Parts: sequence; structure tokens; C-alpha cells
Amino acid sequence: MAMADTKSGRYASAGSSNSVVPLVQGPANLECKDFQEYLRTRQTAETLEKLYNYPPICLAVFRELPELARQFIIRILFVDQPVPQAVVTSWGAQRFAKEQTEATSCLSDLNVWRVTAIPGGLSAWELSPTFKKSVRQVLLGGGKPWPMTNTLEKDSKPRDIAFLDSYAMSRWRCVLHYMVGTGNRNGTDAEAISPDAVRILLHANLMKRDERDGITITRQGFQFLLLDTRAQVWHFMLQYLDTCEERGVSLPECLSMLFQLSFSTLGRDYSSEGMNSQMLSFLQHLREFGLVFQRKRKEGRFYPTRLALNVTSKEAATTMTVSDEEAMQDSGYIVVETNYRVYAYTDSPLQVAVLGLFTELLYRFPNLVVGVLTRDSVRQALRGGITAEQIVSYLQQYAHPNMKLVESAIQSKSCLPPTVVDQIKLWEMERNRFTYTEGVVYNQFLSQNDFVTLRDYAQSIHVLVWQNERTRTMVVQKHGHDDVKRYWKKYSKGGG
Amino acid sequence: MVNVMKGVLVECDPAMKQFLLHLDEKLALGRKFIIQDLDESHLFISTDIVEVLQARVDDLMDRISFPLHDKDA
Repeated sequence: MAMADTKSGRYASAGSSNSVVPLVQGPANLECKDFQEYLRTRQTAETLEKLYNYPPICLAVFRELPELARQFIIRILFVDQPVPQAVVTSWGAQRFAKEQTEATSCLSDLNVWRVTAIPGGLSAWELSPTFKKSVRQVLLGGGKPWPMTNTLEKDSKPRDIAFLDSYAMSRWRCVLHYMVGTGNRNGTDAEAISPDAVRILLHANLMKRDERDGITITRQGFQFLLLDTRAQVWHFMLQYLDTCEERGVSLPECLSMLFQLSFSTLGRDYSSEGMNSQMLSFLQHLREFGLVFQRKRKEGRFYPTRLALNVTSKEAATTMTVSDEEAMQDSGYIVVETNYRVYAYTDSPLQVAVLGLFTELLYRFPNLVVGVLTRDSVRQALRGGITAEQIVSYLQQYAHPNMKLVESAIQSKSCLPPTVVDQIKLWEMERNRFTYTEGVVYNQFLSQNDFVTLRDYAQSIHVLVWQNERTRTMVVQKHGHDDVKRYWKKYSKGGG
Repeated sequence: MVNVMKGVLVECDPAMKQFLLHLDEKLALGRKFIIQDLDESHLFISTDIVEVLQARVDDLMDRISFPLHDKDA
């Protein structure tokens, strides 16, 4: 899920210090962060502290940590003084030094612990007091009661898991259908999505407002459609949380609530009593996206669905127990043949629309769509910002179970014909025969000495892209030009 | 004295570089765009030509590719 990080400029500036900025590839690929990355990149130390006031958030953070890091925390959780770094290091064997460093830096990055000095001049680790308090509360109980409580009376018409699953998926598909523009035309999902949901899609750059065509899907939107449901929900919720502050809703409260839902039990009902008005409106949004089920808006009883439960799980989502027909659609419906033909056993307009992004559709039957992967169709997808990797992984993810029975599939990891996979990748590489780096060329140096000095300086600040000593020519990145120029002025003034 | 020029560094294989040199020489894009020929796989070109160039290269690739399969098969 590691897609290039160049979203909407806002976050791009931070990471681009010495990466090569693509000129032509166009803006913005969809980036999908996991929870840790989200915390690391978007939150400052103070906001992290604020978040750690909420035990559910701490529990989620704790669960996502690398194993060693969790071990460290548990060992020092009840130690009421800083623990010398040397002691922490001594807990692991030498050959796992790399993992240890990873765990250590992960904890520091998330501000879970920090370095302090202890008497004797040693440096020591000290857990963030807020984090410590919250984790202890999670483990031992106590503190304020969670806003989400068990219901007191039994539901007269309880809902079973199968119902919740199909409800959740139908709600979530509403959002997806809206994105591919099949929502309103199709009778099955008559409900359109709310203005709030549209606002989030717009904010997330998954859709854009066009003067001419109204609201249309963006390239990130296409990439979004190719993700699996869990990743989609997670990405969408992160974007939702982004807009919290604008709407005057407390981000930590929402995040905390989201995690509480993810720790709840599927098929049980909970009471929304005691929630403040902001949380109740958050609950209504979750209801719209299918993360919770509620019979009536005003009813104080709700059921979390699998979409909410899967929010924090790193592993692939636990499979849904939906009706057989739908289960087949979810598990796999695509057959790819070595002659580039694609057979998709589906009647869902959403799946057809997604497939149509990168295949040329030939025939359509009530339960089957036949298409073919052509150079043109794949290139069109590539131009739209979808990567070959995404196409391949989509085909793989939804490959028909029978595809996995083929002999070649048993021997290799992928169940797709290798020729097709290779060709899709070749089509992508063909577009990238050039790499463009915006930069500034320096030439006509008077002396070798001048050249070497300036080159070494550019190298030392990591902005040198190309150089040739014989022709005394060098190219530096565009953003490094100012520094190099300043250095050159100083150098030529001082050295004469 | 040092000469400084802004532009775009292009890295590509030698064959594609020859294609660019050819475009430059024949003024196929309406004007010269190569600022400096650096080595066999690097060129320095003017920034504003990049998009036109990319389209032109796409054209070339379209012309030298052939359909892999018969749709009516």
C-alpha cells in the first residue's frame, strides 16, 4: 500500500527535499497511510499528547506497534521512573539490533516515549505520562466511562451478522456507486449520498467539481476504487477526520469513537446514551457510510458493522458472511486468459465501471461482461494515473476461484497469466523511457578547482543530479539552485 | 565566470536520445530545444518543451506498436 506521496501540495512540500519531482507524470497519486504514518505525518507532538488522553486511541496505537515496541512498553509501563537506555538495549539479543532500533525510533516518532537525563549523566527513556495513564486505564479499567455503552434492554428485533454485513456493504457501495456515477441511474441503490459525504469526497480529491460536468471523479478516485474495501474505508475515514476541525468537531473525540467501534463486538447492540451532540452527528455519518447500523435516526441503539471493526486491523479484512451470490462477487469474478481476454462474472454496474477503466469492453450479458486488455485501454488507464501494479493487483484480488486451480497458478505466486502481467508492466515502462528532472546546468567554469569546489558543495547538500569533470559541467536540482548560487558568490568573493 | 541556465535534465537510453537529437535538428517541434548534450544518456533541454515532447514520443510509440491480438477472434 505504499503509494507515492505527493498529495495536493499540502503535504508534498514537506517530503520533497531531495526526491526527484516528476514533471510530466502529473500531480498526485493516491496515498494510503496506515495509522502510524497518519499520526507521524499529520500530528505534532502537542496534538499527539491530546490524542493520548483518550484510552481507545492509545490502545489502537499500542496494537499497531511492532512486537518489540509493545514488549518495551509493557515492561516499563509500571515502572515509575525513567529507564536507562542501556537497560532497554540489553533486553534484546545483539542479532536483533536492527529490529530494536526500529522499535525504538518508532516509539520516539509517535511521541510515546522520550529521552530524559537521569542522575549520573545517563540518558533514559520515559513514557509519555499521558500515554502511560491511558494504557494503564485500558488494561486495568477505571477512568471515565466510554460514551459507547452496552444497552440495558434487549433488542426486541435483534439483527444478525449476515444482515449487518449486507447492510454495511450496500451502504458503502452507495458511496462507490456515486463516485462512478451509477448511483442515481440505477434503481437498486436509489438513495443518493448526503452533501456531507460529497464534501468529503471533494476534500479527499477523490472527486472534483467541474464547471461543465458538475462533480466528476479524479485520478485519485480511480485509484481509490481499485483498493480493497478495508483500505477504502480507512482512507475515507482519515479524510473525514481531516474535515473535523473545520466543522468544529473535536478530532480526538471522533478518532477515539472510531476506535471504540473497532473494538466492539460484531452483532451486538450498543447504546448511544450519554453521547454529546457532536458524537451523535458523527454517528449519523458513520451510519450513512455503513459503519454502524441504526434502525431509526433517533433510536438510542446501534450495531457496529464489520466495516467499523476492520478499521484498525492490519491484516486483510475478515471475510463477510453475505449471501452466496455476493460472496462470489467479493471473492472473485474475473477470469483473465493468455489472449488478454477478460471475462467478468458480475452484474454490478460498479464492478463493470471499474473494469472499464482499463479494459475495452466487448460484450455484455446479464451476468457476464467480456472485455479485452489492449494497449490503448491500459494506456488510457495509465494516463489517468492508475499504475500497472494497481491493475495487476486488482485483477489478482478479484480473480475467479477457478483461476487459482490452473497448473501454472499453483506453481507461481500469481494466478494471472504471466504474459499478461508482464505486458501490462511493459506498457507502463514504455511510457517511462525518459526521466525528467527540473534543474539548473552550470558550465563554462574557468578552473578545475572552481568546478570541483562547487560540485562537492552541491553533492554535500544532496542537490547534485549529474556532473562531468572533463567538460566541467554539472546539473543541480531546481530547488537547490539558490543555495549553490549563494555558496558560489561567497566562494568567488573570498577566494578571488 | 560560470554560466548558469535553467532547464530540464532528461535521462534516457541512447536510442531515445538519438531520437531527441533528430527532433531537435529537424526542428520538428518548431524550434531547437536542446540546451546541452551532456553524455550518451543525458540531455539538458528547455522546460517549456517537455509536454510537447512527451506527446511526440507517445505518438512515436503508438506508431511502432502493433495490436497483439485479434479482437474478433
